[in-house]
Amino acid sequence: MAKIGVFTCWCGENIARHVDVEAVSEAISKLPGVACSMNYKYMCSEPGQSLISEKIKELGLTGVVVASCSPHMHLKTFRKTVELAGVNPYMVEMANIREQCSWVHSDKAVATAKAIELIGIAVAKVRRNAALQPIKVPVTKRAMVIGAGVAGIQAALDLAAGGVEVILVEREPSVGGKMAGLSETFPTLDCSQCILTPRMVEVGQHPNIKLMTYSEVEKVDGYVGNFKVTVRKKARYVDIAKCTGCGTCWNACPKKNKIPNSFDYNLGNRGAIYIPFPQAVPARPTIDADNCLRLQSMKKGKELCGICMKNCGSQAINFHDQDELVEFDVGAIVVATGYKLYSIGKEQENPNIKGYGEYGYGKYKDVIDSLQFERIISASGPTGGEPKRPSDGMTPKTVVFIQCTGSRDNAKGITYCSKICCMYTAKHTMLFKHKVHDGAAHVFYMDIRSGGKMYDEFVRRAIEQDGALYHRGRVSKIEEIKVDGVKKYRCYGADTLAGEPCVVDADLVVLACAMVPSDGVTKLAQKLSVGYNEYGFLSESHPKLRPVETNAAGVFVCGACQGPKDIPETVAQASAAAGKALIMLSQPYLTREPEIATVDEKLCAACGACVQTCPFKAITIEEIRDRKGNFIKNTSRVNPGLCMGCGTCVSVCPSKSVDLIGFTDDQVYAELESLLA
Amino acid sequence: METELRNAIRKLLEEKTVDVAIGYGRVGVGGAVGAVFVTSPDEVDQLVWNNECRQNLAVHLTRPEIKALGKIAIVVKACDARAVVVLANESQIKREEIVVVGVVCEGVVKARFDGSNGEQFFEKCASCVEHAPKNVDVLIGDEAKAAELDAKNAPTAATSGNQAKLAKLRAMTSEERFQYWRGEFSRCVRCYACRQSCPLCYCNRCVADKNRPTRIETSASMKGVFAWNLLRAFHLAGRCVSCGSCAAACPAGIELDLLNLTLVNAAKEHFNYVAGEPGVPPLIGTYSLDDEEDFIR
Repeated sequence: MAKIGVFTCWCGENIARHVDVEAVSEAISKLPGVACSMNYKYMCSEPGQSLISEKIKELGLTGVVVASCSPHMHLKTFRKTVELAGVNPYMVEMANIREQCSWVHSDKAVATAKAIELIGIAVAKVRRNAALQPIKVPVTKRAMVIGAGVAGIQAALDLAAGGVEVILVEREPSVGGKMAGLSETFPTLDCSQCILTPRMVEVGQHPNIKLMTYSEVEKVDGYVGNFKVTVRKKARYVDIAKCTGCGTCWNACPKKNKIPNSFDYNLGNRGAIYIPFPQAVPARPTIDADNCLRLQSMKKGKELCGICMKNCGSQAINFHDQDELVEFDVGAIVVATGYKLYSIGKEQENPNIKGYGEYGYGKYKDVIDSLQFERIISASGPTGGEPKRPSDGMTPKTVVFIQCTGSRDNAKGITYCSKICCMYTAKHTMLFKHKVHDGAAHVFYMDIRSGGKMYDEFVRRAIEQDGALYHRGRVSKIEEIKVDGVKKYRCYGADTLAGEPCVVDADLVVLACAMVPSDGVTKLAQKLSVGYNEYGFLSESHPKLRPVETNAAGVFVCGACQGPKDIPETVAQASAAAGKALIMLSQPYLTREPEIATVDEKLCAACGACVQTCPFKAITIEEIRDRKGNFIKNTSRVNPGLCMGCGTCVSVCPSKSVDLIGFTDDQVYAELESLLA
Repeated sequence: METELRNAIRKLLEEKTVDVAIGYGRVGVGGAVGAVFVTSPDEVDQLVWNNECRQNLAVHLTRPEIKALGKIAIVVKACDARAVVVLANESQIKREEIVVVGVVCEGVVKARFDGSNGEQFFEKCASCVEHAPKNVDVLIGDEAKAAELDAKNAPTAATSGNQAKLAKLRAMTSEERFQYWRGEFSRCVRCYACRQSCPLCYCNRCVADKNRPTRIETSASMKGVFAWNLLRAFHLAGRCVSCGSCAAACPAGIELDLLNLTLVNAAKEHFNYVAGEPGVPPLIGTYSLDDEEDFIR
């Protein structure tokens, strides 16, 4: 015979204001199986929890219902409480009479009646609850970090420092990501490379970090603690173990300085064999197969050029190099794939997003995006830090910065704020003014969003000390004109504070474009079973309480792949993701909630409906054989390591031969029946 | 054609390609046509082929007692052949282990209540545009004739036969339609002949027999018969091949195939899906990460 204790919480006034808790306790005490029904001001507090454990011991309760807030809030708390009092933690049910009752009703009588029904449902369920044991799965003490920008680097270093082996996968030939290409960083104006390169060197040298540059994740199998990741190591045509990075090859390449360098956003040039930038890690070259004379001639059966190979003292160049698939067993995965800038003028990949034809990006050479401007003013950039405009190399005197290009523009399809543009535009004006003292920096903005430590002071400094000219308004059109034979760009803007049009003839226009997730992130997310939003930003498990976890157990996110953010935030989040992964990997085995699907193998007809529908690929068709090995029947079977307990299989099973432990048909029907009774 | 069929089956048995052939024979009361299971070449003369071969024999493919006889050959009409494909797609049978003998069908007639044969063809046959079975290993009959019949029915396929009947029902108000089915279902006694005759109702335990908890009302009350008949139709959504076995088997003469047809039409209209194509994943429960609908991600 069930002995159920029901504990109704007032939640201070949150519940008690709209629910008559005394009446609730009274009504519930009459339900069959209820041995005690109490209420208390704060059930989650120490005395509240003591009340529960005292009653368990005093009355020998077999099940507990706590009527309070959402189980998201305190289910774990109360499970712990009853476990300590000697009852299986899965014999607790929560009735949510706060979010689903007191907070949404103002009529006390209605709310009280509803609370009684909600608790009645929980009592009906707990009567059918069974004692469950958590599932234990082994864990591989190795982590993979995907993306080696500042987020990936930080996460890898933290994991490695925690004693975990790390596979750091980067699809570009060098680690460093976007940050390696920045000039100076707000709000302190320290040089980006000066702070990043030591870290890049560290990941290259750390004994616990295996660097996989010029590589991409091909396939992800397995489950939390036991992932099997296949990485495609792209053909680099240079054996980086033999290469010394002496530079003879890239200096000898006949294509030297003839191919646009994507690291410089095509403002500078490189050769067919190249390192993207001098501080690259590994400082080993890569051959660009599309532009290499030898590799192109080999397709036609000839062997032209080969100068790099002939000049290489360590025989590191191999024109017959092939892509290689490498498999890694890892326990946790940190995704740090970063961002790119929304392409302003060109065709959009996402049909819901439109470009800005009116700004002439792509048509006018001197209308550039903010990352290109970073390269122009960076000491390591194609102009050596001299501000020169791309079209004719002239030093621009008047620069127009247009904020929110793409961001916060419902008409163009991106509704969000890209968060960093206000700050870096202020930085851009400062850096420009520091280099061109008599220059004018005009900024068109919608709002200045500068929340953060020393951030607003930084913007004020740009305006007050460095004389950046801020106009609150947008630019509707940019037109190329000639003034005294010099090319200029007429920006038709508005100054809404002055209430008049504001037209500026600029030498250079810099567009602060919206941040969007980098290419291919949705495909990667699908491989990892991680959710993403309409723009492709990866979804965290909970925006506040689980910001680096994802709904795929064992997969963590950090940096701009999860949403626009600046460097300090990215680094903090990367450390958080590494910390969460370390916590997971520090366990001898992982325990998982036992609420997963289970198949009644006697009844299953093995139609495969569940196999098709399972989003976690957790179900397979297996053969049942007798002890002599004779085939008896097929059945579907759930892998407890992979099942996330979503219950989709239960809904598609035509014969209902699959059940969700903890939410069985029996329990759910009992809940419904209690409502209808 | 009958001789041709017998010869084909005889050959399969003689050469030991199969151990049992499922075909039609006059085995019922008064010589009614039903399933025969021929296990030796001497017995093939039992096999018949005529317009009374209305059963869908694929229903026997999933039965353990038949499977136990060994390798199977089966005689199918075009609609039945599609059922075989669905069974293979749903991993109930291994297609390569079964020899499918297709027969060109010119339509089958309804049985009278006394068991004798009527003149009237099934409505499904009036709108049939697949007289020659597809995806078979052996084809018996005149393909040219079949193509001719297909072409003849094609212009009116969407408006004749069962589609015409369904259109009439769809033209009713929902209240009228409800009353219509109420009238029809009032004759249902939950004998489950529809379930037993359907080749795609192969569950080891039907959800209608589940009792912990009872998923659907088990009695033949109005609530129970509505629950059962609608559930049965829904379980065939995206799977029904419109062979009409359920309606042919129903002793109360309820046109159950009209319920199925509604869902067949819906699958076609919304997903351009026709059940019974080889290698095509099931409609229900299959999703693609590249789905054009955003909500699904």
